[in-house]
Amino acid sequence: MTIHKRSNTELIWLSLFLGLILSVIPMPAFLELGRPLWLALLLSYWTLYLPHRVGMTSAWLCGLALDVLQGSVLGQNALVLVLVSFLVQLLQQRLRVFPIWQQCLVLLVVLGLAQLVQLWLYVLAGNHPPPILIYLLPVLVSALLWPWLFAILRGVRIYGRVT
Amino acid sequence: MGVRLLVFTGLSISLMVTDARLDTLKPLRAQMSLIVAPLYWLAGVPGRAWDAATEQFSSRSELLAENEKLKAEMLLLQRRLQKLAALTEQNVRLRELLNSAALVDDKVLVAELIGVDPNPYTHRLVIDKGEQDGVFLGQPVLDARGLMGQVVEVMPYTARVLLLTDTTHSIPVQVNRNGLRAIASGTGYPDRLELRYVADTADIREGDLLVSSGLGQRFPAGYPVATVTEVIRDTGQPFAVVRAIPTAALNRSRYLLLVFSDRRTPEERATDSALAQKHVDHQQTAAPVTEVKPSTEKKTEPRRKPVE
Repeated sequence: MTIHKRSNTELIWLSLFLGLILSVIPMPAFLELGRPLWLALLLSYWTLYLPHRVGMTSAWLCGLALDVLQGSVLGQNALVLVLVSFLVQLLQQRLRVFPIWQQCLVLLVVLGLAQLVQLWLYVLAGNHPPPILIYLLPVLVSALLWPWLFAILRGVRIYGRVT
Repeated sequence: MGVRLLVFTGLSISLMVTDARLDTLKPLRAQMSLIVAPLYWLAGVPGRAWDAATEQFSSRSELLAENEKLKAEMLLLQRRLQKLAALTEQNVRLRELLNSAALVDDKVLVAELIGVDPNPYTHRLVIDKGEQDGVFLGQPVLDARGLMGQVVEVMPYTARVLLLTDTTHSIPVQVNRNGLRAIASGTGYPDRLELRYVADTADIREGDLLVSSGLGQRFPAGYPVATVTEVIRDTGQPFAVVRAIPTAALNRSRYLLLVFSDRRTPEERATDSALAQKHVDHQQTAAPVTEVKPSTEKKTEPRRKPVE
């Protein structure tokens, strides 16, 4: 019997596609303020556990798609997602052995940093600065969401035999 | 790894600069929007399914009540329409007396809302009409109750609309009661506009209707924009604080109207009507000029910043 050698990378792309949809799906106004950074979370997971499949290149492409979708300046989200991907890759050795709550804390910092860059670019593009604490709310929501997303993606990775 | 970060950062920054300062990336953007536009449709599926379900299961009594309400509303509107016909006729005659161009009805195109900007700090919508339907940059957008905003990005089959309440948007308005001119700026709240630089002594009251004045030559004149809700006069301040609520249902309307209005300046309009008059005199006909073709030439260059 031959060993099944498919790597099922399409599951990764499917998840990123879903992430793109989730980042533009209409939500009530009060929830919109805390919309999780879906793409950043998904990219962090895949960069962490399958660094040879997903890295800065995929992050950049996803960011470009998000830019077109949101109508922001081309390259804004791309830069932010590349930064997230880079930081996660940098911390990869430590992050992988951390318990889940510690991963949450590190991601809180990483995503917070990315969101600050996002804010900076947003204001640089000529918009009025929003209240900064509310602007960082999505980071907190994303960090709290990490354990659940982690469990789901882990299931996808193992049962879907994504390698 | 560091090198790749540098490369991607450099790429992103140069992309951002070109996109913000030059127009060279527009075709690329248009192509990419074709690819990702279906995502908006997909993202709207749950909302539409919910709407369909509630419609399917809404009770008979509710429907009857709504029907009743609509009938009453229609009666009111029809009464107004009867008067309107006579008034329009009178208006046209008076304008002829004044020798100004006839006020033709604006042409409109109905568009459907297909997406809302996910960024909670900007107020933008995506509609299902684009370049193929003749939508142009800066085109005014209305709903049934008043002005909503203007088109800021045109893609092949979709367009992005900036709402009046966005912090980067301002519109010249007039108080309907006495013609006082002002500028209404967005505040970032979906139900509030603020009038800038209104003198403390200006005659403006709670409940005043603000209509577009057409002075910026972007919006057609005379469409309702907002109702004044609050006037704060503080003698220590140079200007009064005037807040108004938009008459259009900015966050509820599903169908929008794109207006193709007469985009000529008053001078052009005057020369055009003079030419038309001459033409009529030349032909020795008694029929009055009722329709003036809107000129197709674009007067002002489309600006990136929609601030008037």
